[in-house]
Amino acid sequence: MERQAIVDKVKNYVLAQFLPGEDPNELTPDTPLMTTGILDSLATLKLVTFLEQEFNITVEAHEADAENLNTLDQIADLVSGKL
Amino acid sequence: MDLQWSDEQTHLRDEIAKFARDELNHGLIERDRAGEFNRDGWLKCARMGVHGLPVPTEFGGLGMDALTTVGVLESLGYGCQDNGLVFSINAHMWTLEMPVLGFGTPEQKKKFLPKLVSGEMIGANAMSEPNSGSDAYAMATTAKKRGDVYLLNGSKVFCSNGPIADVYLAFANVDPSLGPNGVTGFLVERNSPGLSLGKHTEKMGLRTSPMSEVFFEDCEVPEANRLGREGAGKMLFADSMSWERGCILASAVGTMRRLLEKSIAYAKEREQFGQPIGKFQMVQAKIVDMKMRLDAARALLYRAAWQKSQRKSVYLEAAMAKMVISESWIECARHAMQIHGGYGYTVEYEIERELRDALGSTLYSGTSEIQRTIIASLMGL
Repeated sequence: MERQAIVDKVKNYVLAQFLPGEDPNELTPDTPLMTTGILDSLATLKLVTFLEQEFNITVEAHEADAENLNTLDQIADLVSGKL
Repeated sequence: MDLQWSDEQTHLRDEIAKFARDELNHGLIERDRAGEFNRDGWLKCARMGVHGLPVPTEFGGLGMDALTTVGVLESLGYGCQDNGLVFSINAHMWTLEMPVLGFGTPEQKKKFLPKLVSGEMIGANAMSEPNSGSDAYAMATTAKKRGDVYLLNGSKVFCSNGPIADVYLAFANVDPSLGPNGVTGFLVERNSPGLSLGKHTEKMGLRTSPMSEVFFEDCEVPEANRLGREGAGKMLFADSMSWERGCILASAVGTMRRLLEKSIAYAKEREQFGQPIGKFQMVQAKIVDMKMRLDAARALLYRAAWQKSQRKSVYLEAAMAKMVISESWIECARHAMQIHGGYGYTVEYEIERELRDALGSTLYSGTSEIQRTIIASLMGL
């Protein structure tokens, strides 16, 4: 799967689940998600579950932090590294 | 999902149940009354391999998968009536051993895991605070870096194994301005300067599992004892809770089976109005309800563990298992008491203790209300 396709899928999920009504253009590949609180603790669990099911990967618990999940770019890096 | 136990698994489960029945129940009424931890039983369980069930063999464990582990713990709960001892073992395994295994450096694993597995070292988790329970990440405990140590300041409550622990997994915020993203885990050893224990917390049930407050006052923790990266505490705790919720009540499923069998035996033996009380439909209904709850709880337990064995996240499945098992355990204990009538209310019959032990299960590891919140959220609500 191409990297941009991963970004698009995750972006759509984040917009629908955590930023309903938000202008999609405001969510860029480097918009901080965890450090701004868009992804709180429960939202992080939801995102991890989504990534595992959508891309058929395993996200280790120690990977589910701000170093890997803070932006769409970082999430795409994490996912593409596992495909 | 394959839930067929192999001969080897069955043998291990039978062996553990027999061991628990023979070795762990003596003097329990007195220990419960005194709130006394069974250290001898703790070490016996460790020698049987219980503490290290899911820990790789290179650290002294048995290297079992999650499903086998919960199956064995179910057998432990079936044989062992000392729910407090079983709870202490579970707290040790799921809130300390597994976080070290998942997040620890090679040095941390080598230093702590063999002693945790052998039972020589007892682990505890220090998360809850006087003003942060369900809102766990709103903690006030801080950790400030000073050279190559962190100084921890704050107080923790409801620390299971607190009075007897040799190492605590303590959560503190390294930068409160970051909120939950500053929460970090630390392995704090018992002899650390600045660590002290508060009073022993007396409880309604699980009285043989000691609990206390833990205080940190400029408590020095070497940087080498930080578990995971700075700010990784949120996922460290979430992962720990996922293991704990998925597995900590495996033993309760065994306990429910024991209560069911005890209730059936009593219903067959006890006669009123000229026949065994088990012939009365209202008693039968209670026993059928116990059986349904037991089987439903067991199915959810096995599903969560099986999925964990597939190395998938089980946040939803673990929350469901924890909630259903805990609520079923309480109902089974209530039914068992009702079936035993006045005798069930006496200490001698050892049903009242089972009910007291069960009641805390909808509170610890996240209340039933929190589990429902998690489940709803993970369903997209």
